[in-house]
Amino acid sequence: MTAALVTPSSDGLTAARERSRELRRPKPRRNITAHIFLVALILYFLLPLWWLFVASTKDPQGLFTGTGGALWFDKNFSLWANLQELFTYKGGIYLRWLGNSALYSLVGGVGATVLAVLAGYGFAKYRFKGRDFSFAILLGSVMVPLTALVIPTFMLMSQLHLTNTIWAVILPSLLSPFGVYLMRVYAADAIPDELLDAARVDGSGEFRTFLRVGLPLMRPAVVTVLLLSVVGTWNNYFLPLAVLSDQNLYPVTVGLGGWQALAASNNGGGTSLYTLIVVGSLVSIIPLIIAFLSLQKYWQGGLSLGALK
Amino acid sequence: MTNPAAAVASSRAHPDAATKAEATSPKPRRRRSIRRAWIGWLFIAPFGVVFLVFLVAPLLYAFYLSLFSKGLATGTVFSGLGNYVKAFSDPEFLGGVWFVIRFAVVLIPIQMAVSLAAALVLDSLTTRLAKFSRLAIFVPYAIPAVIGTLMWGFLYSPVFGPLTSIFGAFNQSAPDILSSGNIFGGLLNVVVWQWAGYYMIIIYAALRGIDPSVYEAARIDGANPRQIALRVKVPMISSALVLILVFALIGTLQFFTEPQVLKPIANGAITASFTPNIYAYNLAFQFSQFNYASTISFALGIVVFAAVYIFLFTTRKRRGGFSS
Amino acid sequence: MASTMKNLLAATSAGILLVALAACTPDVSSGTSTDSAAGGDAGSCSNTIVHPDAPQVSVWAWYPNINTVVDMFNKSHDNVQVCWSNAGQGGDEYAKFSTAIAAGTGAPDVIMLEAEVLPGFEIQNALVDLSQHGADKVKGNFSDGAWKDVSSGSSVYAIPVDGGPMAMIYRADIFKKYGIAIPTTWDEYAAAAQKLKDAGGPFMGDFGSNVPAWFTALMTQNGQTAWNYDSSNPQSIGIKLNDAGSQKVASYWQDLVSKKLVDTQDQFTTDYVAGLANGSYATYVSAAWAPGYLTGAGGAATGGAEWQVAPLPQWDASKPVSVNWGGSTFAVTTQAKDKDLSSTVAMELYASQEELQDGIDTQTIFPLNQQVLTSQSFADAPIAFFNGQKANGEVYIPAENAYPGYTYSPFTTYYYSELTKSMVSIIDGSKTGPQALDDLQSTMTEYAKSQGFTVK
Repeated sequence: MTAALVTPSSDGLTAARERSRELRRPKPRRNITAHIFLVALILYFLLPLWWLFVASTKDPQGLFTGTGGALWFDKNFSLWANLQELFTYKGGIYLRWLGNSALYSLVGGVGATVLAVLAGYGFAKYRFKGRDFSFAILLGSVMVPLTALVIPTFMLMSQLHLTNTIWAVILPSLLSPFGVYLMRVYAADAIPDELLDAARVDGSGEFRTFLRVGLPLMRPAVVTVLLLSVVGTWNNYFLPLAVLSDQNLYPVTVGLGGWQALAASNNGGGTSLYTLIVVGSLVSIIPLIIAFLSLQKYWQGGLSLGALK
Repeated sequence: MTNPAAAVASSRAHPDAATKAEATSPKPRRRRSIRRAWIGWLFIAPFGVVFLVFLVAPLLYAFYLSLFSKGLATGTVFSGLGNYVKAFSDPEFLGGVWFVIRFAVVLIPIQMAVSLAAALVLDSLTTRLAKFSRLAIFVPYAIPAVIGTLMWGFLYSPVFGPLTSIFGAFNQSAPDILSSGNIFGGLLNVVVWQWAGYYMIIIYAALRGIDPSVYEAARIDGANPRQIALRVKVPMISSALVLILVFALIGTLQFFTEPQVLKPIANGAITASFTPNIYAYNLAFQFSQFNYASTISFALGIVVFAAVYIFLFTTRKRRGGFSS
Repeated sequence: MASTMKNLLAATSAGILLVALAACTPDVSSGTSTDSAAGGDAGSCSNTIVHPDAPQVSVWAWYPNINTVVDMFNKSHDNVQVCWSNAGQGGDEYAKFSTAIAAGTGAPDVIMLEAEVLPGFEIQNALVDLSQHGADKVKGNFSDGAWKDVSSGSSVYAIPVDGGPMAMIYRADIFKKYGIAIPTTWDEYAAAAQKLKDAGGPFMGDFGSNVPAWFTALMTQNGQTAWNYDSSNPQSIGIKLNDAGSQKVASYWQDLVSKKLVDTQDQFTTDYVAGLANGSYATYVSAAWAPGYLTGAGGAATGGAEWQVAPLPQWDASKPVSVNWGGSTFAVTTQAKDKDLSSTVAMELYASQEELQDGIDTQTIFPLNQQVLTSQSFADAPIAFFNGQKANGEVYIPAENAYPGYTYSPFTTYYYSELTKSMVSIIDGSKTGPQALDDLQSTMTEYAKSQGFTVK
């Protein structure tokens, strides 16, 4: 998604380009086919979300033996009761999970972005021995599956006395090889060497040059990498599952996964967890959808201008 | 499936932007660049430290583990590459590899077709519906894979899901997607749903980067919109497509989360060695065979590397290469 | 545009953070009192420490009511305090424990484990032999069968908490409607299944591939002695999975499946629970925890369903055999800093009258402690799920008392994963029951050899 969207326009003809886009309206017949196609896509991609919303309004009996069918409401509308139960169950642990997710993804996302911006700028704007080799290692590292890392990472965290702390989740999430790749490609293109040289001639130090000249030019890519890293950390499941054992530290994905396991086990106890899982899933995806709604606006604006330089 | 990440970057306009930038640097500046070399390292250092500590070091240790073998009833002994020989003749591992290869061969074309078609249609429309559908198609990407898969698990269920009533309306009995015969299709659907929007956005963004005057020229030459789409637009974003395909390939070969989440409701269709990654996970955390689990992970890494290399080699031959 | 975006994001994040902070604040006091915890790496407590000066023992457990139980324990003990956290349910917790074993650090002092996985952890030297730490004191609290489940030779690797003596839960309303008498043998069960089907009734029961422990129990009921294993001689194991009795059980269920007299839905899924709720099944061959599970799972307890429970059908009614499905224990890990103190916790946690009563009231456990099993009030308690039937006294307590115990293998998880494959092949008819068991026998024998065991 980032890709071309952060590509700086090299021709500066964006306005003209937009005008010419407006001019070449497709023929109406094709328009109808295209719109039918789009409606089909919308139905397909939103169907599970619609189900999730409908299911969230049902009480346990409605969920299991309801009359409305899978895709329509039951006679009892208990969304509010479900939400209340969700936010109060086990002393409101769900809210805590949601807060943990926010904390991990913001700290991890911001940290990963800072590291990626610095490294991407370094790779793009400096020549040094071993640069291409280390960059190749960086890209190659994504080919080894992460399951290989769980035990060594756990041992490492144990040595540092970090298992079962927020750092066990945040520190590894600072790694974003793709972020570095993206920043390098973008910086190489968006920051003219002449500008950097001019700054240096004016006596600006290297880091100051980066802050004053490089960083502002990289801003669109920075926002994109930030969002990517935030989403990546928010959706993370197996790392926190492996390194956390205190459920007060769980992010919401691991917490819900735990409820699912509990609900499916022979030790269910007296509460119906399925309604909580369903309504908890619904609430947990809202923050990211809001973030993406705003991101979508950003794209619409950014893309129609050709670039955000 | 792991996040194949954004990359792809400025594929169309600047397929080799990074290298080009330096290549065109005038010679006289060279000496100053060398003097500044250590500053380059300085910029990379913070990332480099995290990379070494949290990726390289664990990987090296995992590789070290993979060179030893230990049975439940025996001690740990050094076995060199013995575990690798065992892995590449282990029917469980090979079966998993065969599954993910088949899965990739079926999944990736479907996923590309859906996202490319959607992107091409969206690129040619400016209506409100188009804007809304762009969001709708993309939304699944914002949903954690665990939760997305749980939702589809419910939707596949004969009792919870709508399939029974939909097929019932036509007097047909609904297929049981969560069975050995149909789980392939069931997983395919989850992955397409989760990722197609993401790829669509990348392609769409690449398409928006094309200078429209190119279309103008094609139209003057008498090309209709479909021809423009297939003969002009697609070739112009081909390096973006190749990069997406590479990431889709890596992600699919490392297939893990979706089958792992569906396993408890899949009526035995998802076994402990369903994919190589699931096999490695179970070996380590269910069967207490940490050494062999590390071997399986690295063996999978070798497979992924080989697959990506073959893929890039064949596409390079055909298209004259995407150099990055 | 970019700045609008950022503002929006910032606003969203700030909102989330506020929520997070609000949620975190009340717990700060209890969440940080870990310094003196015996198991430092195992993490902070999810409970309140009542006596901060007493030494702490870290515990992993996932009973739904464990926080109440821990609070009761901590109030009544001023010499030791439990620092509890929930490291996940079943497999998730075992995965974490396995990682901690491999890493040599990170395990809690005391851990909740199902009896079936004890030898698998014991063979990795991860569990403390409690017979060295006074376990004999509490041996008398449990039936011989329950104690055998946690022992190997003279060693004891855990203290039992709850169990799952098996019985047949049935729908009295369905039985009545189709004129079915309560089956006491498996032959009668099959005949009743046929009668139900002929009358257009629901499935008699279910044969799900994801309950290998259930199938193992049913084969054990017909004389299977699968494992010959003793932790004092851990390099050697005997395996016998395809004896005539087991093959008869496998053929029996394959016959019911192929005649469509029982369903083949995976159990513990929402579909299965919904099926139980809407009358798709006339019986649920299950264990003593099932009523609690079904009540909690929702729906199954309502809708005019009249649930009752009867003893498990037998192969030979004159020689009834009692079997067990599920059950959990507390074990002490070898990473525990104070093994004596940890053993005390393993023996005394979830063991007092008050704590057990909470487990019974919340339908969390079927306790194995004899002080409960022998009490009149437990035997006479009417169970709401069974419409007031005194299920404990009539069915479950006799079943538990007759349970002879079981010897598990040190690779239960692998065995279950292979048995699941066998059950799938029995269901889809690709193998006959005896064939499936023969193949299972050779697979497991090969596996044991590859793990360095001498197969007896």
